[in-house]
Amino acid sequence: MNIFTEPTGPVSQTEARLGARIAARLEVGSLDLPHSITERLRAGRVQALLHRRVVETQPVPVMVGAHHAAVTLGAQTPGFWTRASALLPLLALVLGLATIGALQDQERAYELAEVDAELLTADLPPTAYTDPGFLQYLKKAAQE
Amino acid sequence: MRIGDLLATERELDAFLRGVEKRAFKRTYYHVRNEESALDVVQDSMMKLAEHYGHKSPEELPMLFQRILSNATLDWFRRQKTRNALFTQLGDFDSPDGGGEFDVLEALLANSDNPQQESSQSQAERAQTLHLIELEIQNLPARQREAFLMRYWEELDLAETASAMGCSQGSVKTHCSRAVSALAKALRLKGIDP
Repeated sequence: MNIFTEPTGPVSQTEARLGARIAARLEVGSLDLPHSITERLRAGRVQALLHRRVVETQPVPVMVGAHHAAVTLGAQTPGFWTRASALLPLLALVLGLATIGALQDQERAYELAEVDAELLTADLPPTAYTDPGFLQYLKKAAQE
Repeated sequence: MRIGDLLATERELDAFLRGVEKRAFKRTYYHVRNEESALDVVQDSMMKLAEHYGHKSPEELPMLFQRILSNATLDWFRRQKTRNALFTQLGDFDSPDGGGEFDVLEALLANSDNPQQESSQSQAERAQTLHLIELEIQNLPARQREAFLMRYWEELDLAETASAMGCSQGSVKTHCSRAVSALAKALRLKGIDP
C-alpha cells in the first residue's frame, strides 16, 4: 500500500512526495484531538465491538445436526412413535404381499370353476375323456 | 490452518478501529464540516463494520472500512439534501468557525498562555499551518478531497482507492493530481511550504 512503490514518472513522484508531506501534517494534527472527541470515539468503538459478529457460534448448528442424525439412527433410546414409524414400511410390505396372494388364489379358483362349468355344461359327458378310443379319435382329428 | 486463525479476533478488530478512528473522524469532518455529524458517521461506520464484517480477516478490514465510511458519508449528504429541501439551512448564516465546531487553532491558542510550554509560539505556528491546510482540504471538490485523503493519508494504492470510490484508476490519478496541485498552489500563496 505504499504509494511510492508503484511505477510512476518524475512528475508523479514529486506529486506523491508532496501529497505524503501534506498527509503527514494531517496525521500529526489528528493526534491532538480534544479529550471529548477521543472519548466519543472510544465509546463508539466499544459499542461496535459489542455488536461484533461472532462466527465461533457457526460450528454449533453442525454439532446440533450431528446430534439429530445420531437420534435418527438410534444411537439414543428412541420413543414409541419413532419405533412405530420405523415399522410402518414393513407393515405395508406384508399387507401388500398378503393382498397379492389372496387375489392370485381367487383368480385361480375362478379359472378352475370356469373349466368345471364348461365340462359340466358340455354335451359330451366328462367320462368320455377317460375312454382311450375317444382320445385316439381326438388325436386323429387334430392331425387332419 | 483452521478457519478461525484467518478471522479477526475481537482484539484485532479493536486494534484496527483504534488505529483508524482518529483519521476517520478528521476525514469525515473535512467532508461534513460538523463535529457531531462526523462522530455519528464514524460511529455508524464502526458499528456496521463490526456487525457485518467483524468475522472477516484482518487484511480485509481496511478496505471494507474505507468503503463503509465513504458510503456512510454519502448517506449523510443525501439525508442533508433531503432535509435542506424541506428546511432552510440556518447554518449558512452562521460564521464559518461555527460555535460548537472543533478548531485546532483555538484549542491550541487557549493553552498557549501556559508558562510551562516553552515552545508555545512554534506550536501555535504549527497549529496555524495545520489549520490552513485543513481549510484548503475542505475547499477541495469532494471527489478530489476523497481521492487525496484515501491515497495519501490512508495510503491505499490506486486500485484500492478506485474500488472504494467506485471509479477508474485513471480518475483517481486525475483527482489526486488536481488535489495536490491545488493544495500546493493555495498553501504557497499563504506562505506555507508544503
